[in-house]
Amino acid sequence: MTEVRLNRLTKIYSGGKPAVDSITLDIPSGQFVSLLGPSGCGKTTTLKMLAGFEDVTSGEIAFDGEDVGRVPAEDRDIGMVFQNYALFPHMTVQQNLAFGLEMRKVSKAEIKRRVQATLEMVQLDHLADRYPAQLSGGQQQRVAIGRALTIEPRILLLDEPLANLDAKLREEMRVFIRDLQKRVGITTVYVTHDQAEAMTMSDLVVVMFDGHIAQAGAPREIYETPKTAKVAGFVGQVNLIEAPMDPATPGHAATPFGPVPVTAPGVGETVTLALRPEAIDIAPAGAPGTPATIERVQYSGAIVDYTLRFADGTAMEVKTIPRHPFATGDAVSLSVDLARFRQLEREY
Amino acid sequence: MSQRKTFLLLLPAGVLLVVFLAIPYVSVFISAFREPGQGTPYGEGYTIANFTRILGDWFYVKQALNTMLIGAVTTLATLVIGLPVAFQLARPDLKLRGLFYGIVLSPLLVGIVIRSYGWTILLGNNGVINRTLREWGWIDGPLPLMYNTLGIVIALTHVFLPFMILPIMSAVQGIDPSVGSAARSLGAKRPTVIRRVLLPLAMPGIQSGCILVFVLALSSYVTPALIGGLRVKTTAVTVVDAMIDTFQWPFGAALALTLSVLGGGSVLIFARLTRMKWK
Repeated sequence: MTEVRLNRLTKIYSGGKPAVDSITLDIPSGQFVSLLGPSGCGKTTTLKMLAGFEDVTSGEIAFDGEDVGRVPAEDRDIGMVFQNYALFPHMTVQQNLAFGLEMRKVSKAEIKRRVQATLEMVQLDHLADRYPAQLSGGQQQRVAIGRALTIEPRILLLDEPLANLDAKLREEMRVFIRDLQKRVGITTVYVTHDQAEAMTMSDLVVVMFDGHIAQAGAPREIYETPKTAKVAGFVGQVNLIEAPMDPATPGHAATPFGPVPVTAPGVGETVTLALRPEAIDIAPAGAPGTPATIERVQYSGAIVDYTLRFADGTAMEVKTIPRHPFATGDAVSLSVDLARFRQLEREY
Repeated sequence: MSQRKTFLLLLPAGVLLVVFLAIPYVSVFISAFREPGQGTPYGEGYTIANFTRILGDWFYVKQALNTMLIGAVTTLATLVIGLPVAFQLARPDLKLRGLFYGIVLSPLLVGIVIRSYGWTILLGNNGVINRTLREWGWIDGPLPLMYNTLGIVIALTHVFLPFMILPIMSAVQGIDPSVGSAARSLGAKRPTVIRRVLLPLAMPGIQSGCILVFVLALSSYVTPALIGGLRVKTTAVTVVDAMIDTFQWPFGAALALTLSVLGGGSVLIFARLTRMKWK
């Protein structure tokens, strides 16, 4: 069980602007944390610094309060899973799993016992003598996870481990990794640009942009109360409404759905409100609500996405279960629980 | 394109191979079993006497063994020198790559005769090396660097080094860099990463480099002829002597065939010993 603390961690490659800019983050022991962000946001650099593959420019990485920022990768006691698996092609599954234990001078008998335990844990005991090239992508991935875990590391690091798998396998592996992590109880840092992976697997999602942490919180918190438009948009579809202050009701912004209470900006300014597409109810014209016209329908079975337009020209995305067979051009009525609006912080 | 048309495209290369490779090989093979002739390339009838003469004469056996030794030592020397060079050249962050490639290939850019005479100037009893050492008072008499096995090995190592470096370099370049990182994360220090991960993964290149250099050294003619002079002859030199100077075509062919069998056998055994199950 290891608690990880990043304290104003910074990485600057020679002469450039910081790849990771003074990030501070506490990861409680045993938690599954995702670093989520677009490529170039600093998530992989952060992971490499955690692993010891990149030097820390400034700041601190502490495992259980002990600064490990200068400890070389081979002495840091981390389990790392790489995007392309990085298995040793010249070793069998068994030999791959035993490698870390051999480095630790564990006795032969103990190695045998622990490799066998890992093989069972990752459900590969029938493939122990195969070479990596003889395994499928999913099997290679399980070997990579097993190899990282056999050494019983202090923390487990995963660098986009599912990026090279097909969609169906990816979902299976999500569940597999999450279950395994819970069973082992190891503090885990998971780097991904896939919001669905981050949301479904994590205890804590850390959204990163441009080397900064934009927001960190539980998946639900990130999704339902995003701080900025960028965060809101990265973890799901969102309607952004630039709303003027309502002159009739002080402390409220005027939206097509009615006045929404906001923390007041200066008079005459606007506020940015976020509204998730599934928060909006869509009903046939005539029902109570705001009238709108359907511009596009994207039906995908379980759910249907509508693009709608209000009379004033504002567009709005709505996501719902397909209750009514609406078609393009239909007039409908939209309603929303005003509490679902979220006021966003300004980004500078 | 149809199967037939593809076949037609292969025809020119096929004809070339049959006329200039297959037929000469078969012809050498057959001549090795012919009776020697009087004033003709070979006489009437077939015999195995050419082979019994080689195997029964310690001179030829010893010479063949020495030739194999030259091949083996040259291979070892190019491996020892070439391996670290190949690893350095394979680094993705290498600067002045073109310059280093040029340096590695430079032995091949000089004509073979000129290169061998160059070595004569360096290695001879009055050559640069011996004279310098004498002037510095390090030696009294000249070191025997020419007209012996050592001189041949030195010159062959020089010219065949690229054939060792290039295959190893390309194998090393093919190694996924994250494999080394993975080994480190599992607790391996740099020397262990090299020994347990990088060297085994470079084995396909090491294997082809060794086979290439060994075969080339075994069959080389000009360098051993010029550096070895009259004193040390390799089997290849003796083959040419038999064919050209003494006009004993069947005997020369038998000698050439013996060398091929020895070399081919060694390569097979080597490939067997260094077989990689994971490939």
